[in-house]
Amino acid sequence: MDELTREFLIESQEGLDRMERCMTDLEERPQDAELIGEIFRSVHTIKGTTGFLGFKRLETLAHAGENLLGLLREGKLTANRPIITGLLQLLDGLRAILKTIEAKDAEGEGDDAALIGCLEELQLPAQTAAQRPVHARAHAHSAAAPPEQAPVSASTPVLGQLPVSAQPPEPVADTPSPPKAPAEAESDSSPARPRVQATAAESTLRVDVTLLNRMMNLVGELVLTRNQVLQATSADPNMTLLSRRLDMVTADLRESVMKARMQPVSNIFSKMPRIVRDLSQALGRRVRLQVEGQDTELDKSLLEAIKDPLTHAVRNSLDHGIESPEVRQAAGKDPEGTLKLRAAQEGSHVIIEVSDDGAGIAVEKVSQKAIERGLITADRAAHMVERELLQLIFLPGFSTAAAVTNVSGRGVGMDVVRTNVERIGGKVEIDSRAGKGTTLRLRIPLTLAIIPALIVRSVNQSFALPQGALSELVHIPPEQAATAIEWIENVPLHRLRGKLLPLIFLDRMLMPDVEHKIVTERDSFIAVLDADGRRFGLVVDGLADPEEIVVKPLSAVLKDIGLFSGATVLGNADLALILDPGSIALKAGVTMLEEGAVRAAESETDAAKGLEYLLVEVAGRQAAVPLGDVLRIEQLPLSRVEYIGYRPVLNFEGQLLPVEDSGGVLAAAQENSDAQGSSEKQIIVVVCREGNRHVGIAVSHVLDVAAGGDLFEAGTTQRTTGVTLLKNHVTGVVDLGSVPSLPAGEAAEPKWSQTEETVA
Amino acid sequence: MSTATVGLHGKEKAAVTLVEMCSVRLGQSLFGVPITHILEIVGSARPQPVPLAPMFVGGLFHYRGDVLTTVSLRQLLGMPPKDGSQDILVLESSGGCFGLLVDSVGEVLTVSSADHEPNPSILDERRRSLFAGAYKLKDSLLVMLDPEQLDPMRLSANRAA
Repeated sequence: MDELTREFLIESQEGLDRMERCMTDLEERPQDAELIGEIFRSVHTIKGTTGFLGFKRLETLAHAGENLLGLLREGKLTANRPIITGLLQLLDGLRAILKTIEAKDAEGEGDDAALIGCLEELQLPAQTAAQRPVHARAHAHSAAAPPEQAPVSASTPVLGQLPVSAQPPEPVADTPSPPKAPAEAESDSSPARPRVQATAAESTLRVDVTLLNRMMNLVGELVLTRNQVLQATSADPNMTLLSRRLDMVTADLRESVMKARMQPVSNIFSKMPRIVRDLSQALGRRVRLQVEGQDTELDKSLLEAIKDPLTHAVRNSLDHGIESPEVRQAAGKDPEGTLKLRAAQEGSHVIIEVSDDGAGIAVEKVSQKAIERGLITADRAAHMVERELLQLIFLPGFSTAAAVTNVSGRGVGMDVVRTNVERIGGKVEIDSRAGKGTTLRLRIPLTLAIIPALIVRSVNQSFALPQGALSELVHIPPEQAATAIEWIENVPLHRLRGKLLPLIFLDRMLMPDVEHKIVTERDSFIAVLDADGRRFGLVVDGLADPEEIVVKPLSAVLKDIGLFSGATVLGNADLALILDPGSIALKAGVTMLEEGAVRAAESETDAAKGLEYLLVEVAGRQAAVPLGDVLRIEQLPLSRVEYIGYRPVLNFEGQLLPVEDSGGVLAAAQENSDAQGSSEKQIIVVVCREGNRHVGIAVSHVLDVAAGGDLFEAGTTQRTTGVTLLKNHVTGVVDLGSVPSLPAGEAAEPKWSQTEETVA
Repeated sequence: MSTATVGLHGKEKAAVTLVEMCSVRLGQSLFGVPITHILEIVGSARPQPVPLAPMFVGGLFHYRGDVLTTVSLRQLLGMPPKDGSQDILVLESSGGCFGLLVDSVGEVLTVSSADHEPNPSILDERRRSLFAGAYKLKDSLLVMLDPEQLDPMRLSANRAA
């Protein structure tokens, strides 16, 4: 294929993508001259170029479409439903031919006569007038609705949809410009209405993705080199300025390159209006699509990866979620259902939500189906809480659709969504209320190339363990090594809070030929992993720091080993292989069903055993904090603690946290540091939730997490309050409610406060 | 054996072509790799071993932002592993880049195609697929390595076959 044709294909695809976005908008605002102009231009450009390249079939079809669009543009016709359907068929027709050209470098044989005939028929004014249904008028009406509705509903701002987008400039005038006057008049009346943009050829550039990948790679390399330079020069005062500058420039560069790979989610959201439209027609639903946060950006490769799961989720919502208009009306709901797509960035993740106001998921049906399919036992289902039952829909081979429709319900449903999202390090959550609707939430990491990982040691090497799969770490001191690991024949197991967890020894797995003994002279660690629903403990020799690692691909030869998903270079310039928890579980034969049993059993025992507590030490005494109330554990320099009067408080980005110090931990630390004259002493504060406020508790050490046992007052069946049985010791429970709240007046009046100098 | 003599030798027969070869040493033997395939020579490297990898894999090493797989020529030829650091030739083949782990890298020799002889028939099949004949030097033989055949992908495919 020559360069010219290739360019033509890319341009035409982009034009058709733009056209598709405009089409769904057109249905909302059939009078919008700017939209029609944009669609006209797309088709016109294709027609023009094909004539030049000699693709006759494409030209004829585009020509027929252009004629119809011309009439629309001149205002002789109004875009009603049949016309839009016709234009969508034209879009599909053009796409099909382009695909053939791409594959075979020729248009292929095909008969477009029917489609062309249909398009010509639509040009007859009498027919369209006769066919113009009430519906089109209803839509025209909605177009006149208040402008603030526009950005919320399916209207798609085309801003930022160009491959590498800067601020798109004004429409480029190399194609016939649309009649300006009516459009301008309209945009004056509704400033929030999105502007349709033509190509932004002047400020954007097409860049090969492989080149971007290469750049990303090199930047990763630069980051590593910088780290080493910084380490090497830290002692030299002459280099401080230079290395700081290097540091800054590198950080900036890395950010820019990552940004270049980012694309707005509108790239995939824009496909949804069409899917919703087609499906709701096929299923006889009435659905309004609302899209939010279209300009949220995500790495291109991740965007590609979530396209299918997202499409699947939308299909599911339409097929199983939103009811037919009659049913909705009977239930007292708006006959028109709402499907909401929302994207937003939260820290280092992008959240994508698909929510509907449909029937919700009937939990009883889910458990019934799961029992029927043999996914769980009836006994176990009876013990599961609603939230756990909802998770069952993610099991392979689960589908609640009563009948297999051609939309969804072939038993490959949510498990595919989950697998795809987890493959890229994301998470899927589901929330559903019967009769009210369902929300599916995808948590996607911002970028694939850099992931947080825990560095573990085994067979005298470092390995990176992705944090996403890690649920907790268990430390086995040498004296417990013999008892902590129990055996059924040659299968090692660990009792984790009373439940058996299958163990995999990393060293045995990596070096099966060597004789391994359980070492009793040094510490070992169990990393409790949850990979694709498989739960197991990975025994490693040691732990190093967690690190943000840059993932480098492995050659196919090493990928074939099946345990490593990549390699990375650590901060100390060592290489480390990245372990793939899913494959390790598979290789060791840890199965999903076993996991189901473990989880169900776990929830049973949890319920039976009561609360879990965080065991802390406060000034030599042990105390317990209910684990459910613990938000986080902060280690910070003593100098961060400030005082309002005598009350210690912590300032977290403008939020004041009262710190409970009945054990005198702070006072003791203060004395010590005063004696030593250093302000760098670290203190530990457990941040807890109490009612609707947060309180901090100053502790000396955090010891463990343990399940508490109830204690009964001697001679009675009355449960004692305030104490619990932890590790066979009676332990006092910290009463969070007794922490006095900050007096509003005190905090407001600065003259009361006796602020200390804060050292960041 | 010096480069100059070979050059002179080449000039005497105008029809023959001269090729530049990077000589590498492995134990007592001298091997040659065409310099056109060499991207870089990394001295005294210690590649990171990969557990469970095929025998011929010498480990991983970090090269300009990529993690490359190395092929250990010693292990490939069934020689005992060598202690201490070794040199790595970064080679480019049609399948991508990879490293070749050798004992040490020597000088670049210019050899004449007139001195080239094909693999002897008594060479075992495995070596015959890896070697591309030999050049007769004054006091020794320079055994040619075929970079395409040393590609880890190719090696694992051959091993499986």
